[in-house]
Amino acid sequence: MTPLLSFVNVSKRYPDGGRELLVLDRVSLEIEAGCSIGVYGARGSGKSTLLRLAAGIALPDSGAVCFAGRDTTRMTAGERSRLLRGAIAFMSAEDWRANPGESVVDHVATSLGSEGLTMREARRRALRVLDEVGVGASGAQAPVASLSLTSRTRVMLARALARAPRLLVLDEPASMPNLGDRDRFYTLLRSAARERNIALLVASEEMAALQGVGVLMSIADGELCSTEEPGTLLQLPSRRRAAREQSG
Amino acid sequence: MASVSPEKTRWMRGPSTPLRGALLGLLLERPGHGGDLANRLAARLGETWRVDTNDVYRLLEQLETTGLAASRDEPKRANNRRTHLVYYPTGETPEALTLWMETLLPREPVRLGLQAKLSVARHEDAPRLLIALKAYERECLVLAQIVCPNDGDARSWAALCMECTRDAVYAQLQTEVDWAARTRRRINEFLENSN
Repeated sequence: MTPLLSFVNVSKRYPDGGRELLVLDRVSLEIEAGCSIGVYGARGSGKSTLLRLAAGIALPDSGAVCFAGRDTTRMTAGERSRLLRGAIAFMSAEDWRANPGESVVDHVATSLGSEGLTMREARRRALRVLDEVGVGASGAQAPVASLSLTSRTRVMLARALARAPRLLVLDEPASMPNLGDRDRFYTLLRSAARERNIALLVASEEMAALQGVGVLMSIADGELCSTEEPGTLLQLPSRRRAAREQSG
Repeated sequence: MASVSPEKTRWMRGPSTPLRGALLGLLLERPGHGGDLANRLAARLGETWRVDTNDVYRLLEQLETTGLAASRDEPKRANNRRTHLVYYPTGETPEALTLWMETLLPREPVRLGLQAKLSVARHEDAPRLLIALKAYERECLVLAQIVCPNDGDARSWAALCMECTRDAVYAQLQTEVDWAARTRRRINEFLENSN
């Protein structure tokens, strides 16, 4: 079976003065649909680079990044952009951009522009997803400028989920002052992904934020360390059990 | 690691293995009497280990029984009329140290074993240390992954206490993963610069 996302010997370098900094060194991994992966790493460890490559935002210097069997390095910029607006959703707390005057529901609805929906249909879908992430009807009509950090994160998640992606890539998504809010956000994220069979790729500087993921990895000096053996297909626990029973 | 006879790894059993291994490393550096070795061990490992001199004597006796150390009575430097036991490495000591360096201890709860190896590692042990550090990093990730996740609803006091306990486990494992990655980086940088 073709994995949803695969990295094959992916390397990425950045210029660092007169030298080159190797951020990813021949990284290989495979992610199956519905699987959840947490990437732990200190600041500057390369986890954001890994995620940006997974989302097709950046390209590797060597190796292949394939989504549903298609090598994103061979796609045109337009094809990668369409992928990022459709089957892949990328979310980072640092990437919050919104027109301060627009309402929350419109902020989510406008992200559905490429889906061929009327604004009315887009608003209806946006309201439904906002409700699912805990933003009620009154919150949906509020201007985005009035959102707290916690609410903003939920709205970002709603915007990502509204497009029904197959892969959700989240880079340090929950920078929240309240730890309880953060825990509730991650619980919501895991259940939303599970219910929709969305594969999750989440990175954080805090290991505790990655609890409940199917596979935990760490990244340092361009190398991945994983709870799964490298090169193996990452499966849902239920499928892993089934595979074990079959082989037994 | 190639298969090794159980006889050769028998001394690596029990919680004192890191100290026994570190003593072998110290003996290979230079022989010493029990007190001297205890002081060198404490200086190398730091105060968090609380090295007990009586334990060191006991461990040296064990190593001598297994043929990994040998002792002989020698006059004390300060007082020629009195003697003390000075411990030496044997022909088997270097191989035993190498074996210990490349033996990955399952479920090491904290980094003690690795720290002891690092404290007496030789330059040629670098590849073994890198493997051991990576294995330890992975072990910590496995331990973090099996922690039961919270349900995001710590409203009761019991749930809060549970959450704080869970947080302590994550904090410790995160520190261990960071330390293992940093140590690998230091070793790799050293190897690059020394080539």
